[in-house]
Amino acid sequence: MAALELLGGGFLAAFQFWAFMTIVTGLLVGVVAGALPGISFVNAMAMALPFTYVMEPTQSMLFLGGIYVGGVFGGSISAILINVPGTPASLPATWDGYPMTKRGEAKRALTIAVTASAVGGLVSALVLTFLSAPFASFALKFSQPEFFAATLLGLVSVIAIAKDQPVITMVSLLLGIAIGTVGVDPLYGQARFSFGVPEMESGIRFVVVMIGLFAIGEVIDLLATDRDLRPKKTGGKAIGAKFRDILNVKGAIARGTGIGCLIGMIPGAGATPGAVIAYGIEKQVSKRGSEFGTGVEEGLAAPEAAKNATTGAAMVPLLTLGIPGSAATAIMLAAMMLHGVSPGPLLFIMDPTMVYTIFAAMIIANILMIFAGIGVAQLFSTLMRTPPAILAAFIIVLSVVGAFGVRNNIFDVYVCLAFGVLGWGMKRVGFPSAPLVLGVILGPLAERYFLTSMANFKQDWTVFFTRPISATILGFALIFILWSLAPGLKRALRRQE
Amino acid sequence: MASIQNKEQYRTPRTGGRLPPGLGLLLPTLLPLGLLVMAMILPGFMFESDQTASTIGLGPAAWPEAILMAMAVFCVLWIARDVWALGAAGRRPTLSFPVEDDHYHFGKALIGLLLIIAYGWSLPVFGFAVTTTIFIMIWCLFGGLRNVLVLIPVTVIGTIGLMWLFMGLALMPLPRGYGVFDNFSIWLLRATGIY
Repeated sequence: MAALELLGGGFLAAFQFWAFMTIVTGLLVGVVAGALPGISFVNAMAMALPFTYVMEPTQSMLFLGGIYVGGVFGGSISAILINVPGTPASLPATWDGYPMTKRGEAKRALTIAVTASAVGGLVSALVLTFLSAPFASFALKFSQPEFFAATLLGLVSVIAIAKDQPVITMVSLLLGIAIGTVGVDPLYGQARFSFGVPEMESGIRFVVVMIGLFAIGEVIDLLATDRDLRPKKTGGKAIGAKFRDILNVKGAIARGTGIGCLIGMIPGAGATPGAVIAYGIEKQVSKRGSEFGTGVEEGLAAPEAAKNATTGAAMVPLLTLGIPGSAATAIMLAAMMLHGVSPGPLLFIMDPTMVYTIFAAMIIANILMIFAGIGVAQLFSTLMRTPPAILAAFIIVLSVVGAFGVRNNIFDVYVCLAFGVLGWGMKRVGFPSAPLVLGVILGPLAERYFLTSMANFKQDWTVFFTRPISATILGFALIFILWSLAPGLKRALRRQE
Repeated sequence: MASIQNKEQYRTPRTGGRLPPGLGLLLPTLLPLGLLVMAMILPGFMFESDQTASTIGLGPAAWPEAILMAMAVFCVLWIARDVWALGAAGRRPTLSFPVEDDHYHFGKALIGLLLIIAYGWSLPVFGFAVTTTIFIMIWCLFGGLRNVLVLIPVTVIGTIGLMWLFMGLALMPLPRGYGVFDNFSIWLLRATGIY
């Protein structure tokens, strides 16, 4: 009851004119930044940090929270429309969202995505409001071996994406992880695979790989096939989503939301593993699992719900324990510290108004996201009506600028172009690029957690199996692999008979 | 992703400029071999010649070596499967060229790739403004856009819009070029109110 009263007070504070406008501004900045490849919402949050100096502590959190919520969704706009994920977590949106665009159903795909994201985010905000305390004590039990196990679960979930080709999928994933090892290692500080090139010592950034593999390959195909991405019209109206379409994916949204909430609360896991695992599970559960990758609505809705469901959940360890669960929440922590606010259990006692205003703002931001998302998506969708030659030219320029913007370094542009050529070649021979990208994103995390676990536990590798939570997560990973491979193995056995 | 799942998709690519016969079979089959060789030799090039890997704990080489070894194992499995498949009648290699909805113009694709590489290469030399203007114009012409009344505004307004967004708003230090191009870029940035 006390929580409800406090939440009511939080809503009153969040609906004050300037507080509300701060949420709306943050949301719009986040959606636009997320939708532009290369300018991730985390970058936008980092750039926005100095602006929060002049704000009140609560207002600064509303602003950054708005960018966070909007940005996590925004990445899917470019993923769906031009096959370039604006954020790593939007990677699954390219698998089923972009094929819908190719069928002329961009508007429908965007409506499904924004609705699923909003539902996922809203439920997550409610979880943050009412279940922070019990989950905080659970999150405290996580250490390096558990983080490694969670990252490994994210990595193996890729098996479900291409169960008919598990060997090639594994090669692609391992190649991605190997690319992720380029540069100074996380524990010993020694440069690997730098080949005498100083820029290589800083490593190869996943954003650069992602832009190169997806954007350039796609643009070249657009050019070589004279494909038209303009929305197709039926009876004078562009194909949009009907309410029935949303109802049809309600199960996928519910599952994605649940998975996102659970994974979001694991510090360090974040939106990308959440979205990929949700996609993998949905592929197994859905009756249309074998059609995934061709523009199936469930394949779009589940990861969309999951990635936004991680937003509120990732703030649980931040607000209750002061542990940032992702890069975005780390920036929020920095903003709180700058204002002299220390997150943790004491914050709930010392300043409950601030805490519940943040909770209310997260709920409001997720509801407003439907309008902001549709508005920005409409703008981007209008851009799709431009002739393919113009569209392709600007995608290339945006991609190159995006690669440059990662570190303001021309070397990243060259790396991006090299991966562009590689991505085009991979597409031509049918070699899957998604596992490679996932390997580049999660590989360095897995390595860091693995090495620090080993160092902390006297090089005892059994620690991953003797700690209950780590062992349980690894058990889930094993079950997931077997579950994903079972249909293919059954088919192979039937063929043998 | 879906393209590799559909076994019906294998065929010699239907292209505007066809690949030589047999290359469609050979390329996907050689790929695992190339990756296997790469996984085997790369550990030898992990560190600079004047460096030795730390021997404390697992060391910095342990993780990449394990990953490359695992990759080599999977490449061997892939090769074994392909050798078996090519030996058995009616079977196909694991990878295959995807079917396109329309004709695939390989020549156009290769020229496109060259244009993109040239754009990236000339960016630091001529600066963002000049290179982007020329690139968008050439790309649009190559893509079939011939209307000058569309081409020029799109190129000029588009480039200035991108400069304003990235250099003005996001404060990104995009390349200005060398010598005379640097001076031109500075003049343009001042003229458009960005500097």
